[in-house]
Amino acid sequence: MAAQDPVTKRKRISKKNKSAWRKTDIQDVEQFLEDQRQEERIGTFTDKQNEDLFVVDASPLKTAPSQLTIKQKRKLNALKPMRTHQALENTSKVQDPIAKRNHVRQKKNGRNIELEVCSPTKARHRQANKDRGLYYEKLDKKLAERHSGKKAPTIDKDIWEEVDFRDKIPGLKDEKGWISRDLAVHVAGNIGRKVVKTHASLRHKTTKAKKFEAPHPGMSYNPSLEAHQSLIEQVVDREESIIKKEQHLKRVTTTMFSKVTPEERDRRRLKEMSEGIKEEGEPESEEEADLKPTDNNYSTVNAPVENKKKSKQARNKELKQKELQRLHEAKKALKKQTADLIRIKSIRAEVKEEAEELNELKKRRKAAAERKKFETKRLGRHKFEEPDLDVNMPEDLAGNLRNVKTESNLLTDRFKLLQKRNMLPTTVAVTRKRSKVKRFPRSTHKEAGVSFQDLRDRRKAAAAAAKANNDTIKI
Amino acid sequence: MRRPKKYEAGEATQYISRRAALRKLQLSLNDFRRLCILKGVYPREPKHRRRAQKGSSEIKILYHTKDIRFLLHEPIVWTLRDYKIFAKKSGRDRAIKDFRNLKRRLALFPEIKLDHIVKERYPTFIDALKDLDDCLTLLFLFSTFPSLHLIPREQSNLCRRLTIEFLHYVIASKSLRKVFISIKGYYFQAEIKGQKVTWIVPHYYPFKPQSRQEVDFKVMSIFVEFYTIMLGFTNFRLYHGLNLAYPPQFPSTMLQDNADTLKDETSFVSERICALNFDLLRTDKVQEDEEEPDIDMELLEQDGDSKRIIKMKQEAQEVARLRTLFKGLKFFINREVPREPLVIIIRSFGGKVSWDSSVFSGSTYDESDESITHQIVDRPSLSTQYISRDYIQPQWVFDCVNQRQLLPTNKYFLGEQLPPHLSPFVDAKRDTYIPPEEKALHDPSLIETHAQSEDESDEEETVANEEDDTVEQELLDAQLQRAYQQETAEYKKYGGPDGVNEDEEDSDGEDFNDEDQESSDEEEELDEQTKRLQEERKKMSVQSGKVHKVNKRQLHKAEVDEHRLQARMVKPRHRNLFRKLIREKQTKEKEEWLLRKKRRNIDSDTKEAKKLAKREARKAAAAAAAAASQLGGK
Repeated sequence: MAAQDPVTKRKRISKKNKSAWRKTDIQDVEQFLEDQRQEERIGTFTDKQNEDLFVVDASPLKTAPSQLTIKQKRKLNALKPMRTHQALENTSKVQDPIAKRNHVRQKKNGRNIELEVCSPTKARHRQANKDRGLYYEKLDKKLAERHSGKKAPTIDKDIWEEVDFRDKIPGLKDEKGWISRDLAVHVAGNIGRKVVKTHASLRHKTTKAKKFEAPHPGMSYNPSLEAHQSLIEQVVDREESIIKKEQHLKRVTTTMFSKVTPEERDRRRLKEMSEGIKEEGEPESEEEADLKPTDNNYSTVNAPVENKKKSKQARNKELKQKELQRLHEAKKALKKQTADLIRIKSIRAEVKEEAEELNELKKRRKAAAERKKFETKRLGRHKFEEPDLDVNMPEDLAGNLRNVKTESNLLTDRFKLLQKRNMLPTTVAVTRKRSKVKRFPRSTHKEAGVSFQDLRDRRKAAAAAAKANNDTIKI
Repeated sequence: MRRPKKYEAGEATQYISRRAALRKLQLSLNDFRRLCILKGVYPREPKHRRRAQKGSSEIKILYHTKDIRFLLHEPIVWTLRDYKIFAKKSGRDRAIKDFRNLKRRLALFPEIKLDHIVKERYPTFIDALKDLDDCLTLLFLFSTFPSLHLIPREQSNLCRRLTIEFLHYVIASKSLRKVFISIKGYYFQAEIKGQKVTWIVPHYYPFKPQSRQEVDFKVMSIFVEFYTIMLGFTNFRLYHGLNLAYPPQFPSTMLQDNADTLKDETSFVSERICALNFDLLRTDKVQEDEEEPDIDMELLEQDGDSKRIIKMKQEAQEVARLRTLFKGLKFFINREVPREPLVIIIRSFGGKVSWDSSVFSGSTYDESDESITHQIVDRPSLSTQYISRDYIQPQWVFDCVNQRQLLPTNKYFLGEQLPPHLSPFVDAKRDTYIPPEEKALHDPSLIETHAQSEDESDEEETVANEEDDTVEQELLDAQLQRAYQQETAEYKKYGGPDGVNEDEEDSDGEDFNDEDQESSDEEEELDEQTKRLQEERKKMSVQSGKVHKVNKRQLHKAEVDEHRLQARMVKPRHRNLFRKLIREKQTKEKEEWLLRKKRRNIDSDTKEAKKLAKREARKAAAAAAAAASQLGGK
């Protein structure tokens, strides 16, 4: 044992008592003795012949364990009875004492589809079989179509032919005039061939603008000078108005505010934020000392409300004054009326002027409403903006078809046209923002590696810092 | 009585927000969008947004409640719901790797049928034609697309097939009217069943990538999905109207996507052009060469010769001429010229066209064919040229169509500076004032005479006036001649006039022929035709013609009477409208007159100034000469 396991040190235990002797490990000795005894009984290896020790294996070599894939194994497993059913299996060796047992056949739940398919007994089974047949027929046809690569829609009829829906439905064909149209519509709806009636509002035009707008003659690939000039003039006008608008916006926003340096800004902010906080060492002002509540008595800043009563005399006086005032005003009105009699001509003029003004307003409103009919409606959050005019600059005009410089994107053009004609709400393409990922080196990572991301982040931070330092800040 | 609650009646119930509509239809937003586009239900703007949105003032997308209720009954809503189920089930199959089931499901993918929607949206065929503009432009555009993320290849293939079919109809029916090369693309306008259909074909067939930022591809793809079905049915009806077999059978090599066409853009394009250059199969086996004009002019004759009817007659006559514009001409297109628009135009006006067979497929004859009348070239020079044909630039074809006559080719020769290409959509014969420069651009005969007259006026001031007069006279004569030719053509077309003026017209014709004969005698270029004419004339007896005097007063009186009668015939409820029309006409006339007067004044002023300048110059020159002579003498 010691030789086998030299590492384990023999435990030294005191052997003072007899009982302590038992703790001595004598296994190795006994093992040795046992081996010796066995050798005496059966002899050693050296005494034996080879034939006694070894046997020639005559049986054929076993095949190597088959390399089955997981899938095949699963398939094989699937053939085995289920584990869950193992508990139900009768593993007892004891035979059933009742040799002839009456099996109680349990009634099966639901239908036996297999039976229905194989030996249909009812009309419904036959119908189901027929339907199933149709389904597979359709499936086969579709699969064949898919393989042949033909997928175009079939167009084999004239849909605008005048056809009475009653002719298609047997039994509704009205030769004798007995079936009214209403009845026919009702019946058609109930047998699954509904006659759809569209309401007029569906075809209501939302804009009065023309469907086809003729291209400006200046958009020709080889335009006449006047046409081209007039087109360029239009473009310039539009561009100028845009610039004007931009300048206006800049004037009323950006340039309206004074600019200060960042230090000044910080100083101001500090001052504003610390308003009302006393600096250290500053003596308290006298007013504040006065205002401090000295007693527990309740006091307010406002004067207390008094319930003053008017005397009867005062009331009478007031009434009299009121009466006098009324009389005075009536007199004045009468006087004005008589004066107006003289002024009747100018009054008439005033009335006329007012009516004219109103009329003008009405006209303007009407014109605006009329104009609005041609404009694009506001359908969604964004307002429709006219796309830029397509124009070839004079230096781009080649004069021949070979070197034409095309200017427009037809798809964008169509898309905008649909928006203009109120068929699509104006939308703005939204690019999905990437979520911001905070990056830091792993704690286990010894040397902070330099990655592209890190470099980019560093560069951005540096740029931001530089910007903050250089720029003046708007307040 | 119950107190009425807020927003239970009126505008608030008329509109429904998109979110509410989604909830009501139980569809996802994408499905709802698709349904709306297919059914032609668009968002509305309410009169009072606050009221329609039940007090909220943010701008929502609103629909008419009635529209949404209408959508509820649509059968394709069920198909759209089936899509959701399909996606769930097929997703499950894929997840558990049940590929047998998945295959079965994919084969039975629920497909949307749009036939009934086309019929519903366009109750009559004319409605569909009216809405064909957008449809055609979009399909022509999509037919150039390769398969993209949201646009399957089948869709662009279908677009290509349908557009080619439509072009074949245009060619067969000769219904093309106007063409225009703009920087956007080629504009085509055809007149189909009295409806003007305009579409744009992009310039370059090679696909240019589109940015997704600007255009929602999915939405456009849905529009195209609907438009393909619509154009399919339209084509079907159009073809049957012409007794053509639909779908047209193209040779088996054409329009088949093989590896070669998919790989090579140019061969892909050349396939479709090749498909345009062959005749379609007819069902009736009778080649109808001349079709009867749509309007029966005899019926119009009864209403008298009002201005409108004369205009209509002229129009009909012009169109008849246009339909056979290139008949008998043979074109050859050089390889640098964009072939597709030219093939469409030439073939739809009866011309024959071919191209280099070594570069593109589908050519019908070779460049060496001596019977070719025109070769279309777009390069500054050409090494080998045939004397029997005109080498022209492509613009000639377009301008001819827009002018509705064969223009002289000399301005469009190889390497020539081209005249401006004018838009045919600006009416040259509009009623308002047209400056003489623009008029000249539309009438090539006018511009030449103008140039001449100016040159001569520069030369000699005193002669200038006479020259102008003669030029004017010539012009008038030319115009008269033209008018006469038109009239005769008209008579040939629609039978003789009322009978009263027949003799006079005939005699006028004789006079004209006499003149013609004299001039040709002078030139001594008698061809067979004139000889035959002479012989014919010998047989004819000629009566001396009477000059038809026009009594201006009587004419004016008749006009006024007619106007009065017209005014009296107007129904009382239309009286205001009539007055308005008259007033508008008067103002228009006045404006035109004013502008013309202004122009006249300006012209005379400039002329005066020129004269003065010239006189001054001449005086100065004379003085200088005198001074020089004096100097010389000294």
